Amino acid sequence: MNGILNVQQLNVEVASKKLISDISFGLDQGDYLCILGPNGAGKSTLLKALMGIVKTASGDITLNQQSVSQLSQKQLAQHISYVPQAHGRQLNFNVADFIKMGRFPYHSAFSDWTSTDKQAMDRAIDITNISDFLSRQMQTLSGGESQRVMIAAALCQQTPLLLLDEPTSFLDPHHQVEVHQLIRQLNQQHNISIIEVSHDLNHAAHHSKHILALKNGKTLWYGQSVELLQSSHLQDLYDQQFVFTPHPQTGAMVALPCELSNDVS
Amino acid sequence: MKPFNILILILVATISILLISPYLGLNSSTNPEIQQHILTQLRIPRILFAFIAGAGLAVCGMVFQAMFRNPLATPFTLGVASGASLGAALYVFLGFSFSIMSIDGSTFAAFLGSLIAISFVYSISRLRSGFSTETLLLTGVAISFFFSSLILFTQYLSNVSDSFQILRWLMGSLTTVGYRDVLQLLPFVSVCIAVILWLSRELNLLMAGDDIALSRGLAVQKTRYLLFFVTSLCVGAIVALCGPIGFIGMMVPHICRLLIGNDHHWLTPATLLFGGCFLIICDTIARLIIAPAEIPVGVITTLLGGPFFLWLLIKSRNKSF
Repeated sequence: MNGILNVQQLNVEVASKKLISDISFGLDQGDYLCILGPNGAGKSTLLKALMGIVKTASGDITLNQQSVSQLSQKQLAQHISYVPQAHGRQLNFNVADFIKMGRFPYHSAFSDWTSTDKQAMDRAIDITNISDFLSRQMQTLSGGESQRVMIAAALCQQTPLLLLDEPTSFLDPHHQVEVHQLIRQLNQQHNISIIEVSHDLNHAAHHSKHILALKNGKTLWYGQSVELLQSSHLQDLYDQQFVFTPHPQTGAMVALPCELSNDVS
Repeated sequence: MKPFNILILILVATISILLISPYLGLNSSTNPEIQQHILTQLRIPRILFAFIAGAGLAVCGMVFQAMFRNPLATPFTLGVASGASLGAALYVFLGFSFSIMSIDGSTFAAFLGSLIAISFVYSISRLRSGFSTETLLLTGVAISFFFSSLILFTQYLSNVSDSFQILRWLMGSLTTVGYRDVLQLLPFVSVCIAVILWLSRELNLLMAGDDIALSRGLAVQKTRYLLFFVTSLCVGAIVALCGPIGFIGMMVPHICRLLIGNDHHWLTPATLLFGGCFLIICDTIARLIIAPAEIPVGVITTLLGGPFFLWLLIKSRNKSF
């Protein structure tokens, strides 16, 4: 495979507990991969392993045919950026200062802020449309604003690959749509490859290119997103019945979870 | 107000304090020669020493707050200062007496003590994932108790004069310093502060948490070890010479954060200047409040610091930065 990212037989153990076993997948430039799975399946751990936040026990991760074990953390951050699960509003920083930190991978201790840095920052601010609250404190932002700032900070790193951990989970429907639109725009207009951990099945099925479904740290299913709603994958994945029905507005098939038949007494 | 302007204000205040404080409490009725002697041989070195020690303690406190992402985490509250004290107390008790490159052995003993304490706190707080404020502070309290009881033990076994010497020193005092002490302390504190100034960007990232720091490309572990090393060195050197002067490392950086924000490019110089001034002011109070006698400056800082600590604890419960 000639992709930008290639993961072979990845295993992750934390405190001798196996969180990820033998996961393999690849990504081409401009791909959009969604990782689905029940809580505790190892989705976030997988992203963290890619970002070098958790150590891998065995397996290979290669970026442009180069093993990540040969890259320093700084070099890795020039290839991959990461938006962690929502905690932007717990950070006590000024928005502009926080976005500026995204240029860290390109700096050594004594290097100055250059026009390249400024351009990268302006561009990130422009794409995410956050110029109105640059001088505010992170803690004063709304959920949607905070998520746009987190994405802007990652964009500032100018990486070909962006990892997002449940970027819309805590947002209201309007902001979910807004953030997803932004992610699609990054993917389609700016040719940034995306890996997104998500619980939004219908979004994943219709807007991503590939889906990796994880359960108990193992790959349950990996394939083209359009196939997700055409089989029993969902039921196996979540141990939950789904019904499928065309969206009244778009006509696209959507999955809805069934009511539980045997109630807990 | 812009951070730059605030920094200039702090700088102006620092210079005024450095210029005025030597003259406070000089008795004008004494012989001018004696006055001159007091000023040049006692006051000025003492004030220089207070400035350097205060700056060092405040900056080390700032680094701990950033690394542990907690305004209550400082070398003093986490038991690192007690570790240093134990090191220095053992040095006195065991009757060692050596110096390397004219640096007194007690400095090395205190450095070792603080390094051991810091490794304890860090590894214990890593046992369970995430540093909750409670775990962290309780670890610090436990370690402080442990080291304090060992210090008491060494004191109990010492003769009366050694024991009294240890006790006075444990209160944190600047009474006896001369130019020699200033020169002993200066290299340690300046190296430490230089490294910390050099790592401003890294400190900002550490404050954002490990995940974000790593994803921005910071080698978190390496940076942390470097910071542990230099802060241990700095705290060890200060404690060896003037005892554990408490709470400066908590109050000063916190006040500076409120004044100038959390960007360490501005925060470090502000903390440094403010910390130096703060200890000079506390020492001047300690010197004048029951003149002609003095009280140890550690008593003053702890009297101020205790309530401040409680206020922060109540205010910041279950909330990191």
